[in-house]
Amino acid sequence: MNAGTTMPDLDLTACEQELIHIPGSIQPHGFLLSIRLPDTAVIHASANAASILGLEPDAVLGRTLMEVLPELAADLDADLRDMNPKGGSHYLRTVALDRSTGRRSFDVAVHRSGGYAVLELEEVNGAAASLDALNPNLRQFVEQLGGTSTTESLCRLAAADVRRLTGFDRVLVYRFDENWNGTVIAEDRNENLPSYLDLRFPASDIPAQARELYRRNRLRIIPNADYIPVPIQSHDPAPLDLSDSLLRSVSPVHLEYMRNMGTMASMSISILRDGELWGLISCHSKEPRRVPLQVRNACDFLTQIFSLQLEARENTALAEKRIRLRSVQARLLGYMAAEEFFIDGLVNHPAELMHLVGAEGVAIVSGDFCWILGQTPSEQHIRKLAAWLSQHHPEDLFATDALSALYPDARDYIDRASGLLSISISKVRASYVIWFRPEVVQTVKWGGDPSKSVRAEAGAPRLHPRRSFEIWKETVLGRSLPWDVSEIEAAGELRNAAVGIVLRRAEELAALSDELRRSNKELEAFSYSVSHDLRAPFRHIVGYSELLKKHEGSTLSERGLRYVDTIIESALTAGTLVDNLLSFSQMGRTTLKPRLFDASQMVREVKHSLAMEIGDRKVRWNIADLPAATADPLLIRLVFENLMSNAVKYTRPRDEARIDVGSYRKNGEIVFFVRDNGVGFDMTYVDKLFGVFQRLHRMEDFEGTGIGLANVRRIVERHGGRTWAEGAIDKGATFSFSLPDIEGAA
Amino acid sequence: MPELKPILLVEDNPKDIELTLAALEQSQLANEVVVVRDGAEALDFLYRRGEHASRNTSDPAVVLLDLKLPKVDGLEVLEKVKADAILRHTPVVMLTSSREESDVVRSYELGVNAFVVKPVGFREFFDAIQDLGVFWAILNEPPPRNGGQ
Repeated sequence: MNAGTTMPDLDLTACEQELIHIPGSIQPHGFLLSIRLPDTAVIHASANAASILGLEPDAVLGRTLMEVLPELAADLDADLRDMNPKGGSHYLRTVALDRSTGRRSFDVAVHRSGGYAVLELEEVNGAAASLDALNPNLRQFVEQLGGTSTTESLCRLAAADVRRLTGFDRVLVYRFDENWNGTVIAEDRNENLPSYLDLRFPASDIPAQARELYRRNRLRIIPNADYIPVPIQSHDPAPLDLSDSLLRSVSPVHLEYMRNMGTMASMSISILRDGELWGLISCHSKEPRRVPLQVRNACDFLTQIFSLQLEARENTALAEKRIRLRSVQARLLGYMAAEEFFIDGLVNHPAELMHLVGAEGVAIVSGDFCWILGQTPSEQHIRKLAAWLSQHHPEDLFATDALSALYPDARDYIDRASGLLSISISKVRASYVIWFRPEVVQTVKWGGDPSKSVRAEAGAPRLHPRRSFEIWKETVLGRSLPWDVSEIEAAGELRNAAVGIVLRRAEELAALSDELRRSNKELEAFSYSVSHDLRAPFRHIVGYSELLKKHEGSTLSERGLRYVDTIIESALTAGTLVDNLLSFSQMGRTTLKPRLFDASQMVREVKHSLAMEIGDRKVRWNIADLPAATADPLLIRLVFENLMSNAVKYTRPRDEARIDVGSYRKNGEIVFFVRDNGVGFDMTYVDKLFGVFQRLHRMEDFEGTGIGLANVRRIVERHGGRTWAEGAIDKGATFSFSLPDIEGAA
Repeated sequence: MPELKPILLVEDNPKDIELTLAALEQSQLANEVVVVRDGAEALDFLYRRGEHASRNTSDPAVVLLDLKLPKVDGLEVLEKVKADAILRHTPVVMLTSSREESDVVRSYELGVNAFVVKPVGFREFFDAIQDLGVFWAILNEPPPRNGGQ
């Protein structure tokens, strides 16, 4: 998609339908024979062959090569044996033909086409440029290659050398973009033709099937755009495939294009990278111009060296960048691995996160979490964008340099986010890291208005190329600098690493919960045996002491009796501790049976159950309307019992005790609290309050085993809630606990 | 007056035996108290086999059965008794040191007649044992037995 550029809607695909590989004719600067193998009968011949060969027009087709071209026939077997059937056309040798018309020299090239060997002969004018003569030129080029440092200077060097070898007026290095538009990135010329440097040409100038031919057949030449095609004659109705031909006649549209450009001769050489068309070396001349086959071969050779150099340069540059990004990536991985939540590792090192892909802004979205930094759309826009990504681009990695062309909402922030690169870290939680690049307004100089015109000619509409190649400027909006391969790779690798960390965390968690289950089981067995085996001795102490008192009480002194009573009391306390310990352990193990319950009703009931404990003390209760909540009512009842009976207990020194029970909703929780005006506690020890067997008061002041609040915490935490307390010595205390607000959230 | 049936106390801890006997003694029950020390012996007594093959006492009015016993534990004894067509009419009271929920549930599943957690306090212990003895040995009229002994 050519996002920001506004191309006129005109169907230019007509060119793409032309069957250019079977034109049925050749250009007139040579002649063509196809011979059937192995009997060497001539099956196709260009119409000019007979006269050049000094034969009658009907004395070519059907004859053997020995009859029509004995100069070549003698060694043909050996020549064909060496031929690579897929290798395209190659130069065979130069032959001299002595005919009645005189002695003429021809360069011979041969290639395979179906069951035929196709011979193409081009006349050599004057002193033939032998390969030996071209060698110094090539050597000089190769030597100069070492001195070039950039792609641009390499391209300039190639353009200059091709022009020196061929004598064309203008040589361009033309590079395709991903949409097959071409841009002239280097040029060498004289004053005969205007400069095309930096101009862009639309993809339709070189249609798809032409590009495919260019890939197969690396060098094309048209010595004269005004040429009159020479038909290929044959008794065989099937057309000869000229894909690999050097003399192949070109499309009339192309010739018109050349004339419109003011160039009468042209040559182009394909620049291939990894077998794909990367660009062209495109040569033009104002006047007709022939370039001998040998020189063309030298140009092809030069271009191949140039392609390899180019590839090496770009690979080196890419490799260097990859190494740089790798080290950034390694640091980010370290940060991620060190954090409990790997996202924190990214959030805490934003500079490196942006540097990884060369972005100006970054956002991390995960569920409700949204973090943004640098030049980005607003958080609200990013949330919408993440939703769009998860719907339309479920792929792991997505990159565009023209977001607004795909996602119209992005027009509101093209200045910050024309480029987007995103990785999806978790599909379940819809988690993304999204990088942004700002818009870079570009001016593209098109080589003429990039549209061809359809002119009615003799009643039949025919496609014509544009007539003017005047620069036609266009401003491209809504585009960022493109993300390059190394940046996209770096993002992809960061994603793999993040996913790896997530997986490893999940495994660790699973292992941990196995371990927990095992240790819980052990604890269960432990507390079971403690409660059984420890209880019995206490029971015995109490039992025998009682028996002692009963049977021997009369002989014991008063002090002795007090000792026995103390023994009994201590053993009873120890027994209670054991019972509490067991109930605490059970609290952690029993299955929760949550349901909706009425907290107001529950608190009223608990209040009544405390009546005996209160006795004739004065207690002023202030119980607010409490909401219904979802939890295990039996266990939550224990929580209220604990907190309210504590409040009753610790207000004992007050003439009038005041106990408030209330609640509020906050951040998705229902919070219940019990506040009293009792003896309070020192906040220094607040952390100890909820511990098992932790007491902040002396036993003679306030009785208790110190298990109550530990039970409270355990019950509340098992419901996914929290417990906390506030207080000050002699200023009362407030104990609070929260439960997830399931009703409020619904 | 029908012959007084004995009370079978199944208990391995000698101190618990002594304390239990002291409690039962205080209730002034006339029933004989037979003490066996493990689950296997309890079953021998009930099935009149082994050492108890030639006992001439009646089947017990009540079995006071400790949960944790050597050889065959209390739950297994309970299971055998309640699965037996004749013995299942014999009231069984489970005595245990703790209120462990799974034990309580299992005991009731097996058809226990009562489940008593031995209190640490001696007075409560006495009261509990006496109540049990009185209820099961005197007040509770066992269903007529098919065997008609």
